[in-house]
Amino acid sequence: MKKKMLAVAMATAMVLGLVACGSSSAPAATAPAKEEAPAEEAKEEAPAEAEAPAEEAAAPAGADVNGDGKVIVGYISKNFTDPFHAPINARAEEYFNQAVADGIIDEWTGLLDGETDPNKQIDRAADCISKNCDIVIFLPAEAEASDPALVQMANAGISVIEVNSKSTSCDDLAIAYVGSDDVQAGNMLAQWVVDNCPNGGKYIHCNGILGNSAQLQRTEGMHAIMDEHPEFEMVGDFDTKWDGNLASDAASDSMAKYGDDLVAIICDNDGMSSAAQKTCNDNGRSDIICIGVDGVEVPLQMVKEGTLKATVLQDGVGQINGAIAIVEALVKGEEYDPNPVIPFVLVTADNVDEYL
Amino acid sequence: MASSPKVGQISKQDKIRSIMGQYGIGVVLIIMMIIIAVMEPRFLTLSNIINVATQISINGLLCYGLCICITTGGIDLTVGAQLALTSCIIGQTMTNLGWPAFLAILAGVAVSTAFGFIDGCLIAKFNMFPFVVTLSMQLVIRGLSQVITGGRAVMITNKWFAGIYSNKLFGIPMPIIIFIVVTILMYLMLHWTKFGRYIYAVGGNVNAAVASGVSRFWVLVGVYTISGLLAGLASMIYTSKTGAAQSNIGVGYETDAIAAAVLGGTSFAGGIATIPGDVLGIFIIGLIYNGMNMIGVSSYFQSIVKGLIIIGAVMLDMVMNKNNH
Repeated sequence: MKKKMLAVAMATAMVLGLVACGSSSAPAATAPAKEEAPAEEAKEEAPAEAEAPAEEAAAPAGADVNGDGKVIVGYISKNFTDPFHAPINARAEEYFNQAVADGIIDEWTGLLDGETDPNKQIDRAADCISKNCDIVIFLPAEAEASDPALVQMANAGISVIEVNSKSTSCDDLAIAYVGSDDVQAGNMLAQWVVDNCPNGGKYIHCNGILGNSAQLQRTEGMHAIMDEHPEFEMVGDFDTKWDGNLASDAASDSMAKYGDDLVAIICDNDGMSSAAQKTCNDNGRSDIICIGVDGVEVPLQMVKEGTLKATVLQDGVGQINGAIAIVEALVKGEEYDPNPVIPFVLVTADNVDEYL
Repeated sequence: MASSPKVGQISKQDKIRSIMGQYGIGVVLIIMMIIIAVMEPRFLTLSNIINVATQISINGLLCYGLCICITTGGIDLTVGAQLALTSCIIGQTMTNLGWPAFLAILAGVAVSTAFGFIDGCLIAKFNMFPFVVTLSMQLVIRGLSQVITGGRAVMITNKWFAGIYSNKLFGIPMPIIIFIVVTILMYLMLHWTKFGRYIYAVGGNVNAAVASGVSRFWVLVGVYTISGLLAGLASMIYTSKTGAAQSNIGVGYETDAIAAAVLGGTSFAGGIATIPGDVLGIFIIGLIYNGMNMIGVSSYFQSIVKGLIIIGAVMLDMVMNKNNH
């Protein structure tokens, strides 16, 4: 009996806890649950009214696309866990909360968590449709698998702005894409190694999650330069899954195997390059050049204190600001550039203070 | 096996058989080492052996926690998330609140231990399935680590803290020393104490155990609390290694730990496990990673190779066991 009462009490506490949490983050948290049913309907209805609104969306048709007298903005994040995405999400949250308060837009969905999962992103897209969003900012987790989220929203007439990476039909269905060119980032990684190891030597490459568009394009960009330089030899191509721990292990394994012949470690992100560099430094091999892409806080700090020579910064906040500028242009009915490219920046000791 | 009766005379031959049954997986380990060494002679250098031993410490600690949970017939799926939470607490308290490293570690490990305690209470008190409890709790724990850091990475510059991974004592890296100390303690606990025998008893036949006066509640709470503690210590090593605290680390780390425990002869039916067996399993998993890196297996094939080696090793072990009995 006592056990039962305790169980009931705990269950009640949990439910109350949920309610309390829900109300504090109001629309974002409660909306999806409440509107699950309408979302389903919307999914089915969408194809019927499909073609026409999708084409309309390509032209700047003003902000209130669905004509309900309200401008509602949706935001589907890639995830809440990656340090690269944290400042992007934070900037979006700050701006849109202010925009609602200032009356620039009427409502926004809050930050919807994509959980780096195409399946979840497609569900969030359905939530945006049932919430009558006019504009949705969407950061696809995967090029192919997240694409149905875009198709669904475009078919429902929503103006979708893709940010950070493109899904497959981005060029046809999204009204704009704000991002950076990952192939360029790969070029910059390789160029830094070529410039700083004039005698060439052996190098290894630490991959992101295989098949991810950033992994593919950065790798492509790296090979484009490195393969032109026969004095360099790639002796390892590791499945390190964006994981600093695995990159650190790859670094220590390669140091054990190649000793002084190893001159550089090129990583698809700088969470990995900073961990690899730390391992090299700890083993008295601070001469090994480690470099990666993103410009998250830890590598930037390491550049500042001189333990990491350089990192390639992807200006995530610049990207979301680009998307915000487009939303503002839509609201004012102004022209906008549908494909602004936010350049990568090589961060060294000389300019690191600008980004910290 | 470990639960085999000690009554009566055991012939020398039986003893050898029993040892082969328990540690036959060691033969697999030796075969693997020979294959890798033939393909890449530098594998057997002292520096690489130390390197492997350093790398396995994180998975090793997680494996011991899982081993005792599995032995009671349960499982602890929270360990990956515990890595993230402890890391975030250490990072926040040390870097952003300016706590001394020792206090920050204490806070982080205390929280992971407390979560282990909560898991154990939920499982033991309410008879909930360990799989369900730990599956849900890992969401809570990872969520908490996101709340604490706001998803941002926190850099850790504290020299003393960085030394936990990189410092050496008599030429042996600290993670290896931590791993050896924990291994000895776990061995003593599981094979020499009353609590250890109770773990086997609860996993082997819970009704018989309870009838003979074993407190099922405290045994279960005990193993999940220890698992939480070990995950906290593993996180301390991980955080020191990467020099950064962030909430997205440790995803899927429970799978390597489970694989090591199973390779080491831990039975999902409960009641069967040995610490020396686990050590062999932990080394096999570590060698798979190191060996593939040394030989230079293409990144696209590494995952397949890893899965096949685990299946092959368990199969080989079973075949050898069959021949011995």
